[in-house]
Amino acid sequence: MARRGSLAVLVALALVGAACAGGGEGDRSRQPGRPAAQVTMYTSVTQDTVDAVLGAYRARQPDVAVKVFRAPTGQLNARIAADRRAGGIKADVIWATDPLSMQQYAQDGLLRRWTPAQASKIPAPYKSDTFWGTRILNMVIVYRPDVEPVPVSWSDLTNPAYRGTVVLPDPAFAGSALGMLGYFAAAPGYGLDFYRKLKANGAVQVEGPPDVVNQVAQGRYNVGVTLDNSARPAVAKGSPIRIAWPRPGAVAIYSPIAVFDATRNPTAAESFVNFVLGPEAQQRIADTGWQPIRGDVKGSPTPAGVKQVTPDWPAIFGHQAQLLQAYRSIFGG
Amino acid sequence: MARVRPGHWQRAGRWTTLALLLALVVVPLLKLFAVVAGQGWAPVRQALGGPGAVHAVVNTVWVGITAAVLAVTGGLAAAMVTERSQVPGRRWLRIGLLLPLLIPPFSTAVGWSLAYGPAGLSEEFFSLAVPGLLGPLGIVLVLTIEAMPLAYLVVAAGLAARAEPDLERAARASGATAFDGFRTVTLPLLAPALRAATVLVFVTAASSFAVPAVLGTPAGFATMTTRIYQSLTFSADPASFGEAVTLAAALVVLTLAVVGAADVAGAAPAIRGGAAPGTGQPGHRGRGALAAAAGLWAYLALATGFPLLALVLTALTRAVGLPPVPANWTLANFSQALAGGHAGAALAHSLALATVAASALVVLGGLVAALERRPPGLRLGTLVTLTFAVPGSTLAVAVLLAYGRWLGGSLGIILIAYLAKLWALGHRPIAGSLDRIPPDLYWAARTSGAGVPAAVRTVVVPILRPALVGSWLLVFLFALHELTMSSLLYGPGSETFAVVVLNLQQLGDVSATSALALLLTLLVSVPAVVLLASRRLGRITGFQ
Repeated sequence: MARRGSLAVLVALALVGAACAGGGEGDRSRQPGRPAAQVTMYTSVTQDTVDAVLGAYRARQPDVAVKVFRAPTGQLNARIAADRRAGGIKADVIWATDPLSMQQYAQDGLLRRWTPAQASKIPAPYKSDTFWGTRILNMVIVYRPDVEPVPVSWSDLTNPAYRGTVVLPDPAFAGSALGMLGYFAAAPGYGLDFYRKLKANGAVQVEGPPDVVNQVAQGRYNVGVTLDNSARPAVAKGSPIRIAWPRPGAVAIYSPIAVFDATRNPTAAESFVNFVLGPEAQQRIADTGWQPIRGDVKGSPTPAGVKQVTPDWPAIFGHQAQLLQAYRSIFGG
Repeated sequence: MARVRPGHWQRAGRWTTLALLLALVVVPLLKLFAVVAGQGWAPVRQALGGPGAVHAVVNTVWVGITAAVLAVTGGLAAAMVTERSQVPGRRWLRIGLLLPLLIPPFSTAVGWSLAYGPAGLSEEFFSLAVPGLLGPLGIVLVLTIEAMPLAYLVVAAGLAARAEPDLERAARASGATAFDGFRTVTLPLLAPALRAATVLVFVTAASSFAVPAVLGTPAGFATMTTRIYQSLTFSADPASFGEAVTLAAALVVLTLAVVGAADVAGAAPAIRGGAAPGTGQPGHRGRGALAAAAGLWAYLALATGFPLLALVLTALTRAVGLPPVPANWTLANFSQALAGGHAGAALAHSLALATVAASALVVLGGLVAALERRPPGLRLGTLVTLTFAVPGSTLAVAVLLAYGRWLGGSLGIILIAYLAKLWALGHRPIAGSLDRIPPDLYWAARTSGAGVPAAVRTVVVPILRPALVGSWLLVFLFALHELTMSSLLYGPGSETFAVVVLNLQQLGDVSATSALALLLTLLVSVPAVVLLASRRLGRITGFQ
């Protein structure tokens, strides 16, 4: 009987000892029995897009197994942070949904420096030497059809006609909204005063772009700022909302992909990333409702001829805390 | 009472519990504080010292305490009606009171917002909206309603386990009014259960994320959990990651202060009677009891029924914003909710993990409750409550730091996280009823030759059955509904339902997320209703 207790103690002590020994960066030893052609991807891209791209890749390269860990951005970043402190990152590829996180990983030296064959087809603002954009998310305006006047530019949101009926996503919760904040903070004629005027006009913040679409559709608000990809399915289903591509342009956020420097399968990882940047995967991305990064892909859901503006990502990077603080002093939260 | 030297079973139980406490609770907490300490003092001061952080802490404390007081009062009133009166339809009242537990928390705030918010259901049909719903008052209201079933379960288990009709009848026979009898006999006997319920509701409210995120963001009302979530969103930046962990550690310290004080203050055991638990309950059937029951039904209709109706209508309607009339109804949202191919395996994993965690934690919770009574009376219950207070994401990070090297990406590490987080839910309901076991019965069984397992099985378990069942239900439901831990810890092949839910939320369609919440509610309601409605099962579980 006493042995039962001692055995439990020994097992628990072993667990504790192992836990204490864990932590700190170190070499990951190759686990036995894993096939050489396996790629692990950490991503925050929505499951349907990931599945579509993986399906195409499996048809092209059936001998490479791609394992996916998919989580919202916060969870993804927390997982990577924990991995770094407990033996090293356990993934080969990262496919994020905003450039700022990727820029941070690049600065910390976590990303592999190489050049994919398809990189020449990526427009210059959306690539660097360690990560490349795969699709574009556009911040646009949604409005109810009976709204008067119809919003046509970003500054229309401060129109007193919309008093108390404008809703925005909170940049502290959503990376896309932070990108938009960064754009306006530096844009001539807007600045942080734009947000002050919005607040003075009774604008309300909600958690994220999907909530904006839902609440404008319900009629709680008349005008909102959201992502085109969140609004389009609602319009297609029959919700009473319309999308406006405002002047001077929809704020374009891009979704980058990169290979981790600590990858154990650099060849397979690079081939996968190259595939995602290639025409076949880009077509699948367009099919699931996102604007592909390449201009030579048909079926992009973005209407032809709309204007887009890009935030100055290098200028925003490193100043996110200040931007958020300034925003919070206006909107709270 | 003679002090007996602990035998083999007691020693095994004690060492197993202490070892598991060390591995599951102490080590993750130490990893958490190690990350905080590794930053140095300046980032910690910055994370906690800014006005925003101070506001968040103050908000968390007062929201938690208010919700705790209100929920426990409501739970006590409800428990008195269902356990101490003979009003008809009590079994159905129990089901109604526990229904909010069956609804996943990620949809409770959304349901309330859809039902009572601006441009919501009540405004459309009755031209009435709840003022202040989008703000601190709304947060307290919804947290109270969400937590009341928790308080009700703990207090009802306490009432059922301490059936001392003789004392209460004696008080009435000596001329005390019903209220005096309640105040002088029932309340002091219930003090441990009330304390357990208050602690659980406070910690649940303080670590709740969905309600402040949905209802607090429009008013700019921040709590520690929303701040932690926001810091984690930008945690590619190590400073932001450190800020999130620092806030989580601050929440642990806060919980230690509040809960530790409550535990130390209530350490003296309640009065023990020597009589065996009886079966006859003093039943009130007067007008007062009927009015109270009617009031409860009205409360259930408004607080649970109407938001549930809003969820059902949203899930059935083809698109958000269309009038919820039958012409617009469709089942497409339900099929969209389950699309993706991972849903079946994910659900199976979630159900299995929840069942294993619930069964293990009932035992472990009982062991901690028993250990607390032995000298030197360590405050182990406070210790396990600390991991319950840590928000899911940060606890998952701590578990990953501790065991990620060996168990990363497996179902095992998710189970470890569940055991660490929900241990308090297994412990508190049992601790609230434990002192009602007359010690003489247990020693009589031992003296007559029963070993420890037999004595526990025949003496302790029958008296504690309502508390054991309550604990099991709570852990099972919390484990099934949790989102943040398993979505951070899983690996390919060990997805849980949380992954499906979060993916759907990111896609954004509130109709599909409502449909998913309803499917999950239906899945657990069917066995729960069967359990609670059946007379025979009611006798077995101790809820008459």
